[in-house]
Amino acid sequence: MERQEILDGLLEVLKTIRTIDPARLVGVTEETDFLTDLSTPSTELINIAAKVEHKFDIEFDDDDIDHMGSKVKDIIDLIIMVKARSENE
Amino acid sequence: MITDRATYLDIIRNGNLVGIDPEQMLLHGPTKRYVDKYLWHSPNKGIVTRYSPTERDVEDHFGIFRGVDQVEAFAQASTVSCATFLECRKLNCTPAELKDMFIPAFISIGNVNFYNYLEYGDTFVCLGNITFFKWRQMACSGRIYKIPRGFDVDDYFSDFTEERLLKYDISKDFIQVAELFDITGRAIKIELFKKPE
Repeated sequence: MERQEILDGLLEVLKTIRTIDPARLVGVTEETDFLTDLSTPSTELINIAAKVEHKFDIEFDDDDIDHMGSKVKDIIDLIIMVKARSENE
Repeated sequence: MITDRATYLDIIRNGNLVGIDPEQMLLHGPTKRYVDKYLWHSPNKGIVTRYSPTERDVEDHFGIFRGVDQVEAFAQASTVSCATFLECRKLNCTPAELKDMFIPAFISIGNVNFYNYLEYGDTFVCLGNITFFKWRQMACSGRIYKIPRGFDVDDYFSDFTEERLLKYDISKDFIQVAELFDITGRAIKIELFKKPE
């Protein structure tokens, strides 16, 4: 799965997050920070992770979430890593 | 106080918090621990605790137990106690061992509405519903009720049920003091909490 494809899927998820202003999603890049650029409440990151699991048919471990950064690229990296892990299991 | 590790682990695997001394579950205290006793607990659903504010708790505050301390009491009773129990169950360890790995952190507080007050001499119960638990983050919602003086609240909740918790099906003699939503906490790994600068 290409990074752009993941980013597109992630944007679809973000459009369903009530606390994110849709106007801020225009021009989102991998460097966009959920906390500082999108003003996402810290609790919402967990909700986003839960929706990402469903969207990409993956399952995060506790440790994955512990070490998840707050930038879009961090989530994309995590999705790629978890997908690769599940394929190797 | 349970001192035998095997007994404690058996309770965590197969039982619940009723009968456990809150001192053994909560990092908080002694002066900032706002749970005297666990009255009822269903590990995946919720909990009921009781607490009686001390003279120290109401000092310099008109003899009234502060609203922020009610939120703290509810968080200790619900999110911290319930998540600690489930994480111990998952990792097969005691709360004392968990303390060496994680720090409980407040993540957010949703709406909180107050309807009455609590003063020295009162006893209150926290009824907490678990609304979310994943990745070591738990959210609970629930209510705080003042108990009539002289009422045997321990006995009252001895046969409580999940159905009654969800409906707040309790005695009309209890006075609702507060309703709290989405009290959210998370266990953070100590090494992440204390990152070197």
